[in-house]
Amino acid sequence: LSYRFEDFETNETEWKELPGCQNVTRTECDFSSAITEYYDTHHVRIRAERREEVSPWSSIFEMIPYFIAQIGPPGIELQSINGVIKITVSPPEANQVRKMWIDHLRFKYNLVIWENSSNAEFRSRSVFPTDKIDDLAPDTTYCLKVQATLPLELQEGLFSPIRCIKTTRKAVNNLLCATNVSVLALNMKFHLHWNNQYKQYVSYNVQYLIGYLKKLHDDYSGKWLNVPGCENITDTQCNFSSIITTTSGFYYLRVQAMSEYNKSCLSNEVKVDPLITNEIGPPGIKVDISDVLLHIQISPPGGSESEVMRDHYDLSYRVLYWKNSSNNEEEIKMKEIKQTIGTVSDLTPSTLYCVKVQAFSEVYNKSSCYSREECIKTPGDKILPLIILATFVTALIAVLLVAIPLGFALYQAYSKIKYVFFPSCQPPSNIEGFGGQLFSSPYLSTTEEPIENCSIIGTVTTEVVHQIDFKDYKYSKQSSRDSGNYSNDDDTSGSKASEEMLVKEIV
Amino acid sequence: IMNAFGLIQIGLILFSTTTISSLQCNHLPLQQRKVIENSLQLLDKMGKKFPQQCQREKMSFRFPEQVLKPRQKETVKVVIEEIFQHIFYIFSKNLTLAAWDGTALEQFQNGLYQQIEQLEACVLKKQPHYFRSKEVNRLKLKKYFQKIDFFLKDKQHNLCSWEISRAEMRRCLQLIDKVIRKL
Repeated sequence: LSYRFEDFETNETEWKELPGCQNVTRTECDFSSAITEYYDTHHVRIRAERREEVSPWSSIFEMIPYFIAQIGPPGIELQSINGVIKITVSPPEANQVRKMWIDHLRFKYNLVIWENSSNAEFRSRSVFPTDKIDDLAPDTTYCLKVQATLPLELQEGLFSPIRCIKTTRKAVNNLLCATNVSVLALNMKFHLHWNNQYKQYVSYNVQYLIGYLKKLHDDYSGKWLNVPGCENITDTQCNFSSIITTTSGFYYLRVQAMSEYNKSCLSNEVKVDPLITNEIGPPGIKVDISDVLLHIQISPPGGSESEVMRDHYDLSYRVLYWKNSSNNEEEIKMKEIKQTIGTVSDLTPSTLYCVKVQAFSEVYNKSSCYSREECIKTPGDKILPLIILATFVTALIAVLLVAIPLGFALYQAYSKIKYVFFPSCQPPSNIEGFGGQLFSSPYLSTTEEPIENCSIIGTVTTEVVHQIDFKDYKYSKQSSRDSGNYSNDDDTSGSKASEEMLVKEIV
Repeated sequence: IMNAFGLIQIGLILFSTTTISSLQCNHLPLQQRKVIENSLQLLDKMGKKFPQQCQREKMSFRFPEQVLKPRQKETVKVVIEEIFQHIFYIFSKNLTLAAWDGTALEQFQNGLYQQIEQLEACVLKKQPHYFRSKEVNRLKLKKYFQKIDFFLKDKQHNLCSWEISRAEMRRCLQLIDKVIRKL
C-alpha cells in the first residue's frame, strides 16, 4: 500500500504530483520543496494505491501556507558582564534563503527568565534583538528562553532552547554612574536631569540614540551620538531640545559619567517620545470689557515653539470664570473654546469677574497648568453716569446763576460805601497856596501874622487893635475852613472852640 | 495549558505595547496625518528628482487599491499598519547604492516605527480578535510588497531600482493620506 500526494495551486490549471510524496508507505510526507507561493491557496489530495487498485481521491485539504505556518524558535547569544546579562537574538529562519517570515523586523521577542532555584518565579518581558537585562541579582544563575511573536497576527512562535548563565558581581565603580535620569520637558524644550553621588571630579557626556535603531538586528552600540552642548560638562543637567528635530519618532537618552582616571560608566536609558513626554505650559491671558461682553485674549503656550504644539496637539482652551465677591459662594463657570479669542456674555453689571485659562489636548490627553488670574469689573448701568453728569451740570448752572448776581450786588455795595465813608477828595486849586501852616495849629501866632499897615487915627491902645485883628482872623478862618485833614462840611464846632480860647487869652 | 500560557504571553505583550503609547486611539487619524505628511516630505528630501535614465526600467507593481476602501475604521488601521511595516522593512537595508540623505532616511524610518508601535497598541486594545476576517487583503498587500522586494533583489539594489521603489512608496503613502483624510 502506498500513497500519492497531489497538489493544486490557485493559479494552476491541473493537479501536480508532489515530488518525494509518490509511493510513500508512511502516512505522512514532507512536501515543503513543492510549496513556493506562500500566499496562495493550495489544495492537497491523497489516494491510496495497491498495485493496480487505486482508491478514490480523499477530500481536499485547502490551506494558505502563510496562515498555517508556525514561527520557529529564535537563536540566542548571551554575555554576562557587570551583573548584567546582554542578549542578542537572531530571528527564526535567520540563515534561510527562502523565508516564510520575510519581514523579520516585525517580530517582537518575548523573554522568560527565572532563577535556577526551586519555586522560582517566572518573569516575562519583551526584549529588542540586542538588549540587556539589568534588574538581576549578582552572582546568581538565571535560566531563560525566548520566543518570537507577531502580535497583530496573534502568532506566537516556539521557544528557543533554555539557556542558563550566571551573573557576575556588580561593577565597583557603581558610584560613578549617573542615577535618577529623568526628563523634564515644557513647551517643547527638553531637559535631562540626573544625580550623582561620586565625591570626586566627574564630567558627563549626554548621548542619544534614534529610536528605531533598536528594532534592527544590527548592533547599535556604535550609533549613540553626543548631544551637542552636553559634552564634557560638569552640570547635572542637559538641554537636548536641539536633537528633537521632528515630533514623529522617539529617542533614547543616556548619561556617560567619566572620572579623572579614564573610568566611565553609562547610566540607564530614558525613552523620549516628544509629544508624549512634553508637557504643555500655561497660556497667557488678557481680558477686556466692552458693554456687556467680556473679551478674553489667549496667547498660546510656548511662544515661538507654539506652532509645533498647536499643529500636533490640536490645542483647545478651557476658560474658567467666576464673580469675585466677598462671599466665596459664587460658582465657577467653564467654557471650552478652540480659538484664541473668547467672549463671555450675560454678565451682571458692576461686578468684578475673574478669569483663568488652561490649554489642553484631547488627542494626547494632556492639559497645562492654569494661567494667572485676570480680573476686570463690569461697568455699571449706562444710565447712572448720565444722571450724575446731568446733576452736576445743573448744579453748576444753578450755582452760577446765584453767584454772579450776588457778586455783582456786593461789588456795587462795596463801591457805594467806599464813596460815602472814605471819599477820595482833592482841595480845589485856588486855595492850594495857603499851605499847611495856617491849619497846623489852632492857636493864633501873633508874630507870624501879617500886620496890616494902618494909619493910626488916634492914640488907641494896642488892645483895641488886637480885638479888630482878632475878628478879622475869625472871619478869615471861617472862610477857609476846608483844610486837608477834615472832610466834613460842618466844622463850626472846631472853630468855635478855638475862638473861645482866643478870647480867654486876650482877657 | 499551552493555550492558556500562550494567552498570558499575549496579554503581557499587550501590556508592554500599551505602555508605550498613552495616546487616545480615537484620535489616531490626526497623528497619522501628521506622520504621513512628514514622511512624504522626508521621502522627497532624501533623494533628488527621479533620474531620467531609470525611466525605462520602470515597472508597474499594481498596488491593490481595494484594500484601502474602508468599510470600518478598524480595518483601515490594520491595513495601514501592515503597509507601514512593509515600507519600514524595505527601507531598512542595502541602501548604499541609493546614496540618499542619511538624516532624512533615519527620520523617515523613525517616524514609521513610532506609528507602527502606536497603531499596534491601539489595534490590540480595541479588537484583539479582529484580523481573522480580513486576511485576504493582507495577503494581497504581502504579494504586492513581495514583488517590490524581489525587484530590488533582482537588480541588486542598484540606484534605479531604489529610485523606482521610492517613487512607488511615495504613491502608496499618498493613497493612505487620502484615505486617512476621509476618516
